[in-house]
Amino acid sequence: MNLRKKMLRCLIAFVMIFCFIADNELQQVYADTSYDTYSYNFWGDDVLQPPTYLPGETIDAGRMGTTLNYPEDMFLFNECFYIADTGNSRIVCLSNSGSLLWELGIFSHEGGEDSLNKPQGLCVTKEGHIYVADSGNGRIVEFDAERNFIREIIRPDTDLISASVDFIPTKIVVDEAGRIYCISYGINMGLLEFDKNGVFQGFMGATQVSTNMFDYIWKNYFSTAQQQERMETIIPTEYSNIFMDQENFIYATISNLDEDDFMNGADALRRLNPTGTDVLRRLGNYDIKGDLYTMSGGESDFSKFVDVSATTYGCYFVLDSTDGKVFAYDYDGNSLFIFGKKGNRVGSAAQAVAIGVSDEEEQIYIMDSIMNCILVYDITEYGRQLLSAYEKANAGDSQGAYAAWQDVLQFNANSEFAYIGIGKALLKEGDYKEAMKYFKLGNSRKYYTRAFKFYRKELMQENFSVIMTVLGCLLGALAVFWIYKKIKRLAGDARCNISKL
Amino acid sequence: MQYFKTLKYGLHVMVHPFDGFWDLKRERRGSLAAALTIVVLTIVTYVVQKQNTAFLFNFNRLEQLNVTEDIITVFLLFLLWCVSSWCLTSLMDGEGTLKDIAIATGYAILPIVLINLPLVAISYVIAADEGAFYYTFGTISYLWAGGLLFFSMMVTHQYSFKKTIMTVILTILGMAIILFLGLLFFSVIQKIIIFALTIYKEIRFR
Repeated sequence: MNLRKKMLRCLIAFVMIFCFIADNELQQVYADTSYDTYSYNFWGDDVLQPPTYLPGETIDAGRMGTTLNYPEDMFLFNECFYIADTGNSRIVCLSNSGSLLWELGIFSHEGGEDSLNKPQGLCVTKEGHIYVADSGNGRIVEFDAERNFIREIIRPDTDLISASVDFIPTKIVVDEAGRIYCISYGINMGLLEFDKNGVFQGFMGATQVSTNMFDYIWKNYFSTAQQQERMETIIPTEYSNIFMDQENFIYATISNLDEDDFMNGADALRRLNPTGTDVLRRLGNYDIKGDLYTMSGGESDFSKFVDVSATTYGCYFVLDSTDGKVFAYDYDGNSLFIFGKKGNRVGSAAQAVAIGVSDEEEQIYIMDSIMNCILVYDITEYGRQLLSAYEKANAGDSQGAYAAWQDVLQFNANSEFAYIGIGKALLKEGDYKEAMKYFKLGNSRKYYTRAFKFYRKELMQENFSVIMTVLGCLLGALAVFWIYKKIKRLAGDARCNISKL
Repeated sequence: MQYFKTLKYGLHVMVHPFDGFWDLKRERRGSLAAALTIVVLTIVTYVVQKQNTAFLFNFNRLEQLNVTEDIITVFLLFLLWCVSSWCLTSLMDGEGTLKDIAIATGYAILPIVLINLPLVAISYVIAADEGAFYYTFGTISYLWAGGLLFFSMMVTHQYSFKKTIMTVILTILGMAIILFLGLLFFSVIQKIIIFALTIYKEIRFR
């Protein structure tokens, strides 16, 4: 070992000891996570970063005072958890601290008694009305805030759905105008849309069928009937979950992707505008598909998006059931941070099915349908700075964002978005040279070239006279040289002619 | 000053490939020293371009670049091409010797140097959306060199057009085969060495 290495080790040891003594808080922040927090950089490397969310308490049966059974969906409203307790055929409402407020399984309907049957999804409107996807009964049921039955929406009477297919609503969202969108099991034409009176309007956001030409030709022209029967039919993908953001755009996850889809950059997440067009921004360095690499390369190892939750400023959190991870992306689709793990240790989910984000993103809740509990993750100071930087940038507060990004860099000097964020703020201020430096650190050629153009223009304007003088001199020298050669040649010719004479 | 004269002759070959390559061989207007100089310059170009191109056009991970690897890559390609071409042309009634081929190949790749080196400098003053020029010139340099390589073979061995195409394809195939045999050789040697070492250890530690 050479001297430099030795010195470096001593230094590191010293710093570590110093940290331990001087900053107990720092120790606390980095202690006890069963998972790594990381994100993908420009080169596609998974780069570790400080934790953004740390495992907090677990809301389990003991705390709830009731035992859930394979819950499938969770909705956060008014700081309460609304849970579709599928196995127990009921809806459960928990307070913020996790204690049971009420449950709803049996209700009065047209004088008689009616009950829910394996509800898989629910959502709550601003007025507190609860819409339940009553999957087992094949209907959507609406309750008011006092849990009184209001109405039910049964299978729409339409030719668009073939008679052999049942109506089994699984996930549901309602927009501010009262339009209802739901996913129905086995219907792959998109989301079913109902107007506020519960009249079926049609499908929206159908996924496009993608197939390659070779498969298509082989299947339709070169294979026998028996072969065709055994081949998979080319069908559009089904949505696995939906979430409505504050602009009434629907985030929809797709989980039944195979390896080919994954490699060819199929979309695992969409953001549908009210006409059903996908408007998700895919300007990041990589596809929005969760982990870029898998451990063993097997099909089952790919990330499988099962739920999504969006913030008011365009960042969104996608839940993956394969590894129980949460993937956070920014507005442009850059990988922001990734955390979580599958398992049964503290802070890991055995079967993650639903994600909820509290106001101000202070907590992330993940529902585990095998352990029948809700895992709570608390934001760290680093995570708070990171998200607040995005929030400020989104609100147009470039000074505030600049400061927040500086704080983020204090925690994580590898943060490409922090460099890009600072660069953007500098670009706005007109400090192009410095902006270029930061964009280079953030590996963003897109913004670098923008700053570069301004910088070049500035430089040209400042040094116009110098540049023109140099250019003029060069051109002049060339002209003189050319004339000199011409004269020399002419003189030579003349001499030749004279000698010939 | 013979050396500089032969080096300068490369500029003539670039724009007049047919009589350029003809005189290169028959009139001895080129030299092996000049050809090797061009090869070295090509290596320098390759390395400089990888390392010093401006950030906007440089998609290499600078912290992972290995100059030795780059040098070997270019030189090995040159060597493989010459050897493979020589092997084939001597079987196919070619007139050129190995030296002729090496000289002609060296002169043929001059456009790569002359275009790509200035491009490195230019990359610092153009923005990403003006990159079309940059990439076009880069492509032109390689196409030009490729064309010259083709004509050099045609002229050096006095081949017809068709026969040259045939030879070029076979030469590339030959390069692949040589590479394959080389790898095979090294892997076998490695196995043998390991085998010998194992036996030595077995006996030693008995």
